[in-house]
Amino acid sequence: MSLFLIAALPFLGAVFPALLIRAGRNAAASAAGLTTFLALMGLLIHIPSVMRGDVVTARFDWIPRLGLNANFMLDGLGFLFALLILVIGLLIILYARFYLSREDPMGQFYTYLLLFQGAMVGIVLSDNILLLIVFWELTSLSSFLLIGYWKHLPDGRQGARMALAVTGSGGLAMIAGMLILGNIVGSYDLSVILQNKALIQASPYYLPALILILLGAFTKSAQFPFHFWLPHAMAAPTPVSAYLHSATMVKAGLFLMARMWPVLAGTDAWFYIVATTGLITMLLGAVIALFKDDLKALLAFSTVSHLGLITMLLGFGTKIAAVAAIFHIINHATFKAALFMTAGIVDHETGTRNLKRLGGLRHLMPITFTIGTIAALSMAGLPPLNGFLSKEMMLEETVHTTWLHSHYLVPGLALLAALFSAAYSFRFVSHVFLGAQREDYPTHPHDPPVGLWLAPALLVVLVVLIGLNSAALVGPLIAVVTSAVIGGEKLPYYSLKLWHGFTPALYMSVVATLGGLFLLALHKRGEQVWNALPRPEAKVIFEAIIDALTRLSRWITDEMHNGVLSRYAIIFVAFTVGLGYYAYSTGTIGVETRVPLPAQIIPIIGWICLVGATLGIMWFHRNRLLSLVLIGVVGLIVSVAFNYLSAPDLALTQISVEVVTMILLLLSLNFLPTETPWDSSAARRWRDAAISVIAGLGTGALVYAMMMRDFAFPTISEFHLANSYKGGGGTNVVNVILVDFRGFDTFGEIIVLGIAALIIFALTESVLSTNVRSYLLNRKPHWPQSGDSHPLMMVVATRVMMPIALMVGAYIFFRGHNQPGGGFIAGLIVAIAYLMQYMASGYTWAIERQRFYYHGTIGWGVLIAAATGLGAWFNERPFLTSDFGYLHWPPLEEFEWATAMLFDTGVFLAVLGAVMLALDSLSRFAWQPGMAQEFPMDINPLRDSPPEQEQEKEQA
Amino acid sequence: MTFIAELLIAIFLIVSGIFGFVGSFGMIKLNDPMSRLHAPTKATTLGVGGVLLASITHSVLLEGKLSLHELLITLFLFLTAPITALFIAKWHIHRHELPSDLPDAGEDELWATHAVEQVEDVPDHSAN
Repeated sequence: MSLFLIAALPFLGAVFPALLIRAGRNAAASAAGLTTFLALMGLLIHIPSVMRGDVVTARFDWIPRLGLNANFMLDGLGFLFALLILVIGLLIILYARFYLSREDPMGQFYTYLLLFQGAMVGIVLSDNILLLIVFWELTSLSSFLLIGYWKHLPDGRQGARMALAVTGSGGLAMIAGMLILGNIVGSYDLSVILQNKALIQASPYYLPALILILLGAFTKSAQFPFHFWLPHAMAAPTPVSAYLHSATMVKAGLFLMARMWPVLAGTDAWFYIVATTGLITMLLGAVIALFKDDLKALLAFSTVSHLGLITMLLGFGTKIAAVAAIFHIINHATFKAALFMTAGIVDHETGTRNLKRLGGLRHLMPITFTIGTIAALSMAGLPPLNGFLSKEMMLEETVHTTWLHSHYLVPGLALLAALFSAAYSFRFVSHVFLGAQREDYPTHPHDPPVGLWLAPALLVVLVVLIGLNSAALVGPLIAVVTSAVIGGEKLPYYSLKLWHGFTPALYMSVVATLGGLFLLALHKRGEQVWNALPRPEAKVIFEAIIDALTRLSRWITDEMHNGVLSRYAIIFVAFTVGLGYYAYSTGTIGVETRVPLPAQIIPIIGWICLVGATLGIMWFHRNRLLSLVLIGVVGLIVSVAFNYLSAPDLALTQISVEVVTMILLLLSLNFLPTETPWDSSAARRWRDAAISVIAGLGTGALVYAMMMRDFAFPTISEFHLANSYKGGGGTNVVNVILVDFRGFDTFGEIIVLGIAALIIFALTESVLSTNVRSYLLNRKPHWPQSGDSHPLMMVVATRVMMPIALMVGAYIFFRGHNQPGGGFIAGLIVAIAYLMQYMASGYTWAIERQRFYYHGTIGWGVLIAAATGLGAWFNERPFLTSDFGYLHWPPLEEFEWATAMLFDTGVFLAVLGAVMLALDSLSRFAWQPGMAQEFPMDINPLRDSPPEQEQEKEQA
Repeated sequence: MTFIAELLIAIFLIVSGIFGFVGSFGMIKLNDPMSRLHAPTKATTLGVGGVLLASITHSVLLEGKLSLHELLITLFLFLTAPITALFIAKWHIHRHELPSDLPDAGEDELWATHAVEQVEDVPDHSAN
């Protein structure tokens, strides 16, 4: 199966659980399971070539100019991680089906899970670091959804937010690091980067790149001091914890370090940063874990500790340590997933995860006891389980490591961590299962149904088998993976077996185990000491930092963006004037190449109207209604000017836009004070006036200068004129530009228009659901109300006008391709035709007789336009290529058809819907109870005088 | 023939010019809104009508083809002019006349514009 498909399958499959949940929870779970299974099968097909040491690749140039290619590769390392992700994913899907309760939205859960799974598979299969970053951020986002799955729990929401903040910001640092790395090498392809160890390590940017990339890896893998998010993420449902914190999310950081190992490891900087962080994390996590009473918190900190262990091994930078790291990744994934699921079962069956309330469950839940004990003993590092093997290798490695000339520091601290690790593992077993049976469990515990224990049982079988026969079972896999990690060099000698003779590591293991038992015996005393110690609480610190940052950004925003529109305007205008002056004083201006035309009387009249209206607006702008009228004058003169200058399309558009905006503005004036108050001092007004006058004169001078000269470069108008009919099949160049040459722009514009209208609708909705609604309902009108607001004459006239206006709209629409007109103008005209009905008979009366929703109109418009564009693909042409031809139907004259016409239909519907939705939203502000009318007009003589027959009856 | 046609067109244009001027002059000269309402009706009906007649005559007699666009313009004028006038009149009655100053409304107690229940305590903006 192609690597593309393996990475894409979880994303594609994510749709199904969300849809199939209507068919039941089993259907949703099976869909998720089947998707994962298919991807897993696809992966397994590649076993032969991976085991031969080949690298399977799939390449696709996505955005080559950015170096962002959708390249995937599958080598041993990617294979191991993909295998872990998919296999444990499959087990989690099974487990979650039985774990989640009836109230939990299971479709949503599986959809999130598959999204996350897809992102993880994407990370481990990427052969391009930019693509890897994309998937990396996707895991942050999808894990946010998963951790916050129980939206009703504040812990869940806070934990999710913290995880997103920490891993997301680490991801940002990593982007910078990756970009530096890519610039050093000159390629963003991993396979190229991995070949350039010498180049990278010699670069002066090696250290910044290393630190930034490690920030990403450390935040993701919960390394000290970023370890705090992981325990808080435990608020998620247990399947999520088991998945994210055993095999996937937190392993992504380890994966990245292993992936970059060939080029980044081997320097002092790498050793001291990575190994030290790992060591501290390992020790800290193990110590804290011992004193956690929440079962999942214990496991969370033990995860932190084990991640530290693996990080430390990778940090050593030796090949044999890399082998140990890889081996421990496999082992940790198996026993930790099993332990999380066990914890989930205990929680599910007893109703509590508090170790203080548990104990003595071994007889009540024998199966869970067996599973949990084996997994915990593996975590403690007891033979013959797999945890023993890798812990042994780790201890062996620490013995050979010197840290700042000290031979004892690393092994000593590692031993201490191993000791605590053994202690908390034993505590897990003894405080949950051993001891006396209690009477006060919240519910009656018993073993769960097979669906719940099957998944951890399978993992535990693996734990035992790998422990007993590791060389045969995982030996070849480890060899392949390690050779991928160390960059294809010769493998060091190692042997995966239980008995190595009496080595220092064996003595250390014995000490750790005995010490662990000893610590457990002293746990009560230790706990008292621990609780008495002052400890920094990570969550408090984190929230203080976040609060401070929020205040800072709010302060910056408030200072820069204080809501005074006139201030923004003056800054903008003054800055533009300054730029213009700079350009004028430093640039050169060409000679005048044109002669001014003699001024004619009609343009002069227009000019006087324009200037007069503008001055009038300035003078009367505090009277809002009057300034609206004057703005209308400006709009009309502009549209007349367009017509005079032979731009009928623009004139038509301008005039219809003018009408619609005027009506919308009049509607909103209804809710505003009639006067703009005086709120700025005289000095400020003079300053503003001076700046405006300078800006106006400058703009005028610029326009004059441009009109007196020919264009500096040839324009593209010639091309449009030459190709409009030949290529677009229309003689109206403006329309052909809109629907063909620049069709994609238009497509974007109608989408934006639709979004704008929907936002107006949404704003209306949200405003009307607040206390503003009661304010509006109690609003006093500005003026005394007038009777007969829907006069008969107006109603009759608009009814007569309606079909005529619609016909004009259709006429404008159909002629659009060859003569002035088109979908945009037609949409506005039809909108006006509807508006007239609203004005004549009132909004409530009209909307009750409305048979379609404007949201739908917008949607259909965009969809039709998109479908027209897609149609070109079926003819193997680029998106939105139009086609045209001629038809001759006998009674009619020969006429032209063009696919652009369909596109124009989309534009028409989107414009109509957007205008009407905006109007509709504004109208709803004015709604008052009792406003709905029974009749279209207030006074109807027919109603006053009943038909004569009835009168006669009455008389009789 | 051409001369007669041109003469006819000229007469129509002059008539329209005169009425257009009279209408505009009336807008300035008359001082009461209700009287002023009469002035633009001259401009819209006879004034524009004259131009339209001149245009039809021009196309029929001089260009030799029938043009009906002018009839459409007439139709729209006849539809919109009365409504505009009605609204201006209603606005005037609403804002500037008291029910007691108006002529008797016949069977009804009040003219329709005034016949509405008022919201109490409407703020007074009439000074503006």
